[in-house]
Amino acid sequence: MEGFPFISVSMVLPIVGSVLLLFLKEELAKWVASATSGAVFALSLFSLLFFDFSEAQKVQFEERYSLISELNLSLHLGFDGLSYVMYILTTLVSLSAILWSTRDHQISHRLKEYYAWFLLTETFLIGVFASLDLMVFYVFYELTLVPMFFVIGIWGYKLRMYSAYKFFIYIFVSSLFLLLGIVSLASVHYKQFGKFSFNYFDLLKNGYSLEFEVFMFLLFLIAFAVKTPIVPFHTWLPDAHGEAPTAGSVVLAAILLKMGTYALLRFNIGLFPEASVFLMPLMVLWGIFTIVFASWFTISQSNIKRFVAYSSVSHMGFVVAGMFLLNAEGLRASITEMFAHGLTSSALFMMAGFIYNRLHSFNMQALRGSIKFMPVFAVLVAITGFSSMGLPGGSSFWGKFLTIVGAREYTLLLSFLVVVGAFFSAVYVLYLLKTLYLDTKEESRLIHFIDIRGFKLLALLLMVFPMFLVGFLPFLFFVFYDPYIQNLLNYLISKVGG
Amino acid sequence: MEQLIKVEFPNLWLLLPELAVLLTGFTLFTLDLLYRRLNHTLAISVSIIGYLIAFLLLLLNWNAKGETFYGLYHRDNFSNLLQAFMLLLTLLLLGFTRAYYEHRKSLYGEFYYILNFALVGSMFLVSSYNLVVLYVTLEAVSISFYILTALLRSDFNAKEGAFKYLMLGGLSIALASYGAGFMYLYSGSLDLRYILTHIGENQYFLVLGLVLFLVGFAIKIGAVPFHFWLPDAYQGAPTPITAYMASVGKLAFFAPVVRLMPYVQEHFAYAWITTVGLISAITMLYGNLTALVQKDVKRLLAYSSIAHSGYIMAGIAVAEVIGLKAVIYFLLAYALMGFGSFMVLALMERVSGWENRLEQFSGLRFSVPWLAFSFMVLLLALLGIPPTVGFVGKALVFMALSFEGLWWLALVMVVATGISTGYYLRITALMFMKEDNRSFNPSTSASERLLMVLITLGVVLLGATPIILWKFVSLSAENLFAR
Repeated sequence: MEGFPFISVSMVLPIVGSVLLLFLKEELAKWVASATSGAVFALSLFSLLFFDFSEAQKVQFEERYSLISELNLSLHLGFDGLSYVMYILTTLVSLSAILWSTRDHQISHRLKEYYAWFLLTETFLIGVFASLDLMVFYVFYELTLVPMFFVIGIWGYKLRMYSAYKFFIYIFVSSLFLLLGIVSLASVHYKQFGKFSFNYFDLLKNGYSLEFEVFMFLLFLIAFAVKTPIVPFHTWLPDAHGEAPTAGSVVLAAILLKMGTYALLRFNIGLFPEASVFLMPLMVLWGIFTIVFASWFTISQSNIKRFVAYSSVSHMGFVVAGMFLLNAEGLRASITEMFAHGLTSSALFMMAGFIYNRLHSFNMQALRGSIKFMPVFAVLVAITGFSSMGLPGGSSFWGKFLTIVGAREYTLLLSFLVVVGAFFSAVYVLYLLKTLYLDTKEESRLIHFIDIRGFKLLALLLMVFPMFLVGFLPFLFFVFYDPYIQNLLNYLISKVGG
Repeated sequence: MEQLIKVEFPNLWLLLPELAVLLTGFTLFTLDLLYRRLNHTLAISVSIIGYLIAFLLLLLNWNAKGETFYGLYHRDNFSNLLQAFMLLLTLLLLGFTRAYYEHRKSLYGEFYYILNFALVGSMFLVSSYNLVVLYVTLEAVSISFYILTALLRSDFNAKEGAFKYLMLGGLSIALASYGAGFMYLYSGSLDLRYILTHIGENQYFLVLGLVLFLVGFAIKIGAVPFHFWLPDAYQGAPTPITAYMASVGKLAFFAPVVRLMPYVQEHFAYAWITTVGLISAITMLYGNLTALVQKDVKRLLAYSSIAHSGYIMAGIAVAEVIGLKAVIYFLLAYALMGFGSFMVLALMERVSGWENRLEQFSGLRFSVPWLAFSFMVLLLALLGIPPTVGFVGKALVFMALSFEGLWWLALVMVVATGISTGYYLRITALMFMKEDNRSFNPSTSASERLLMVLITLGVVLLGATPIILWKFVSLSAENLFAR
């Protein structure tokens, strides 16, 4: 199994599944999709046995297929610790989202298309995290737009078409800047080394003047700031997440946003170390700004899906702030938070979708106290809420705590600012939990609610169980990316000189 | 005159593909003369066989390079590549035209040989440096296009479009020939290569000539502000002809400008970048902004064609090898995408009451799923979503611009592409997201469906495996630059 092409197999499987289900009966679509994404998830877990954790900074499971040799353009796939975590998150969340869809009332028509688009999304997402060639990365990055455009626009709620447009246009236009940046790097490589290259490791060798590096950093940043998103580039997100069907929101929040943060870490910091150090204070403060403002926006929402969507923005603020602290704790916090937020936001969107199926409303006032007569669901949501808040033992605790520690390495004031952000992000979760659990409502309607069960329970458990893992056994996750972080820091020091 | 040209028998071997096509044209002409009512199956078969033979001869000539008729005709990899594409597109076109014209009750025998003359003209236009040859073939292609545009019974729009095309097309040819005259006056040669490599003092006549010559071509390719005929002609023309003008016409009219690229760097580098870059910026912004407000999809695609001329010109502004490669790739890519997207409209026009209005596309996915899917792929390709040829083309143009450091033009292109998102997505969303109960089905034959699927697959697969086209594009660009 040593040379088994784990990555390409897990990318090809969903494509095969999506083609297969187009030729089958409509009722079978969901089972084919579940089986396919289950197989990919199993494959990703199985691949854990072959991942060499002691050498996690190195690229493993490497595959390379040349596309244009003259331009050094190749389908170069591989995982290091960072992308490997994202890969497992992708397969986990995709499986969970598809399982949830099988019992979602919103998904009642055009099933074949729906599951085909979802499986394709999974392929593209794995491609995003696995590609080590910037052009191929861009291709997958763009491709994820198309299925999500249709998922939001066809199966979404009331404002679905508007939201789908907005989502597509925002991300597409911003990513054109990324395309411009990528081809510029290839041109620079040509001018310095006499050949074009889009390969990540080739482009690492490029040297730039500081002005040019900052310019390139900004071109990349435009794309990823919209994708991540960082306030004030977040305005597409509440619409897209708010109007998408539950599973669509889950994939959007859990993985598509991570594409932005992952790329910030891998490309912005990896390729432009000097610009990163130069812009570090700005980026950290911007991240904290995002935390605080997004938290305020969150509290003021009356639609629970938009509420959860805004809370995602605030979490992304932690990821960005932690990442640009550029020390071991900050980076650790950032990557752990990426994974943790993938779990908690998924679970929260499932919560919103579940309540909508019962109450047919997303209005915060309408769903006061609605959770009372569904004990299992209530417990799972409570765990999710407290995890998201950053209670010790919860999954987001490490993200927040380590960011504070990382900030303390610079100044006390900075860590104080992070604490302020953490405070506000706790406030909105408490507000949500209070609305759901403590507020009263006439109970005659609520008493008929049926508790979560079956596939939906399984899907939610798939999200909640790993929260415990992250919360209580964080070192299980640190082993993935600690070597990567160490390697990155050494690289930064060698480039910038302390 | 120091020396007389040595008279020798011209090397006809190089001209074989063109001769085959021309022979087909004469055969079609004779057939049309002989029969009172032309058997259209016969005419189509003769055309297809003739073009296939020409294609085979072209493949035999694939690596042939050289000149014949004392330098009037120049065959190289570039002309081979473009001619191959033109022949293929013409073959594709013939698969669609008969049913279309039958439906519009305008099935004329003239169609076949006029199409043929357009093709011959285009094939010569892409393979010459000589001003006279360029002038003559430009006339041949244009006149054929005027007639093809008008060739639709009792259709007022077709006549109007053809007339506008004729007026502005005539102007463009007048300007180009006037410019050619000035260049000849300056250098005493009709060969563009000679003119541009032997530049002395006092360049006024040369610059004047070159500018007029290029303006003539700018009218033909629909560069803003010389584009006014294009939307009307494209909208009025029979839709398969629109597809043909947007594909083969674009290839033909761009080719002479592309051939200039290796020669302008020495003396006109700065002027070339600024003027071509500026016109390109205006063209893509204007084309996309105007397309955004169109209610008629055919007209919208015509404006999108103008915008694509702008993207291609952005590549032309970079007079380097990388720019040349980007331009050739994008030209071929657009020929394929433009052809396919107009052809979708041609198929939909079989539905009675179909007027290409935007709202008529709503819910198309439910009535004609395969066509809606094809159209979606083509529109996304025009937008530049990977992995289609449109994306590769756009990425290459971006690469050329960043290579040259033309950041402002690159940013304009980003903005223009951003604007174009609006209308391409609107059609896509209408087709797939609006649920409409109307059901209509254009009666399409199996061969038409097959060809449409082939075009769609081509757009995706050639983009996903860019090396196939790239090999040819790269080779021809390097050959052009090697002079």
